[in-house]
Amino acid sequence: MISQSESKSSQETPVLEIKGLVKKFGQRTVLKNISLCFAKGKTTAIIGPSGCGKTVLIKHLICLLRPSTGEVLFKGQRIDELDESALAPIRTRIGFLFQAGALFDSLTVRENILFPVRQHQKGPAFKDADDLVRNKLTMVGLDGFQDYYPANLSGGQQKRVALARAIALDPEVILYDEPTTGLDPIRSDIINELILKLQRELAVTSVVVTHDMKSAYKIADRIIMLHDGNVIVDGDADHVKNHTHPIVQQFIHGRLSEEDLASLNVSSF
Amino acid sequence: MLMAIGARTLQFFEDTGQFARFGSQALGCSVRCLFRSHAYGLVSTQINAIGVRSVPVIMITGAFVGMTLAIQAYDQLASMGMEEHLGVLINLSVVKELGPVLAAVMLAGRIGGALTAELGTMNVTEQIDAIRSMGTDPVRYLVVPRVMACLLLTPVLIIYADLLGVLGGAMVSFAHLGINGRAYWDFSAHGVAMWDLGIGVIKGFFFGGAIATVSCYKGFTCKEGAHGVGQACTEAFVLSFISILVLDFGLAVAAKAIYQSFWPIRSIVG
Ligand SMILES: Nc1ncnc2c1ncn2[C@@H]1O[C@H](COP(=O)(O)OP(=O)(O)O)[C@@H](O)[C@H]1O
Ligand SMILES: [Mg+2]
Repeated sequence: MISQSESKSSQETPVLEIKGLVKKFGQRTVLKNISLCFAKGKTTAIIGPSGCGKTVLIKHLICLLRPSTGEVLFKGQRIDELDESALAPIRTRIGFLFQAGALFDSLTVRENILFPVRQHQKGPAFKDADDLVRNKLTMVGLDGFQDYYPANLSGGQQKRVALARAIALDPEVILYDEPTTGLDPIRSDIINELILKLQRELAVTSVVVTHDMKSAYKIADRIIMLHDGNVIVDGDADHVKNHTHPIVQQFIHGRLSEEDLASLNVSSF
Repeated sequence: MLMAIGARTLQFFEDTGQFARFGSQALGCSVRCLFRSHAYGLVSTQINAIGVRSVPVIMITGAFVGMTLAIQAYDQLASMGMEEHLGVLINLSVVKELGPVLAAVMLAGRIGGALTAELGTMNVTEQIDAIRSMGTDPVRYLVVPRVMACLLLTPVLIIYADLLGVLGGAMVSFAHLGINGRAYWDFSAHGVAMWDLGIGVIKGFFFGGAIATVSCYKGFTCKEGAHGVGQACTEAFVLSFISILVLDFGLAVAAKAIYQSFWPIRSIVG
């Protein structure tokens, strides 16, 4: 690791913490010894090329995947060894946006958003439920789509409904897996503003997986870059921009390296 | 070579263990849900989806079994001058064996395939993970209502198959083979006891539980992609089919043992 995160200075226990995380799938090691703290009320962006293990990392934070070795802690409590039923109360405090949305395709938008509410609260009156759905859909700019089925929405709309579902229980922590991928620039910016707004007004702690650098610079207090299963950069936007590591520069400027060019065999055309 | 066999064996035991855990969790949870009224909403949705639409196909199965039995058994009985006993043979076969087994096989194809495909698709599109991520147990939310619906429905559907089998057999016997109706029913009533019908229906509980548990398990453990879902459906059907046959044999043995120890007199006389 190249720099220490500035959040270490605060005395509070971090909301989420990963210690010495290693994740193997069969013979393949996807994450190699990662340790990170996520401080309360901060937004952290995790960047890195496709397939470097960003989704795998973020899924460990709510134990959808379990570490091969290492620990995951929520507010100082170890959660990676809890069984599924013991995890339930913790998971209701954390919202998770899946990369592909993962909406329930047999339920309408409205029922999707009410799913976590119905599972965990003793049924709010019908009027409250309508208000809640409208409120969350307005936040993602989709009011009026209550009775659509996910199959009838575009990919970007599905993702925004999924985001509305992830915030339905007003979680303290929200984990976003590529919230702006597949959205047009205006819609991406709506999501960026929403992430900022949730942080400012409700002090939500966010972890955002993205490879949209514009979005990362805008929303993140801290940017972490993964490469080859390790953290290679950890710091604020300026720290990343001025980083001298060639892989970092290539990634944030979207340039190919010499070898990549060579492997494309460009010269032969 | 040896290594490969060893690895396959280990994998087999691991899979079996995993299935046993899944099955006991699902069945245990189902039994507990019987006492909780709020689970019934989900169950009734499944009963509609699974049961109501299976009725026609089950009735057709039953009717044709009865009719075919009548045609084929007639000659043998007639050559012994026992054609009036045809009713006993048809009805006993339908009620005790063919009705339950064929209805269950039909359901394994009709329901099992649909369950595996539905849950498998939910698995590969991360909808099952989404349920977990929101702090709900996917087994309780997805599997239990389906297992309950199958447990409750299969016996009922078997009764439909039995009914149509009996009617189909009788229809062919009277209309086509010209057997005396009075004698047909008298012999049947004498030869087929409540016990025989009960065995068939009880088999239904076991078959229904097996079909639902196997199909849901295959859906939950299905591999990535459209190919994975297709493969899971095939495996679910084959496994359900084999479980039905094995359970049928096991239950026949058990039923016989029980019958002989509880109704010793009847088994000597009858
Ligand atoms: N369930 C799994 N089984 C095996 N390999 C996996 C699994 N999930 C992810 N991987 C592998 O881990 C690597 C990282 O995946 P992922 O975290 O999805 O990448 P990304 O950074 O694009 O989100 C990929 O190479 C993928 O093949
Ligand atoms: Mg990913």
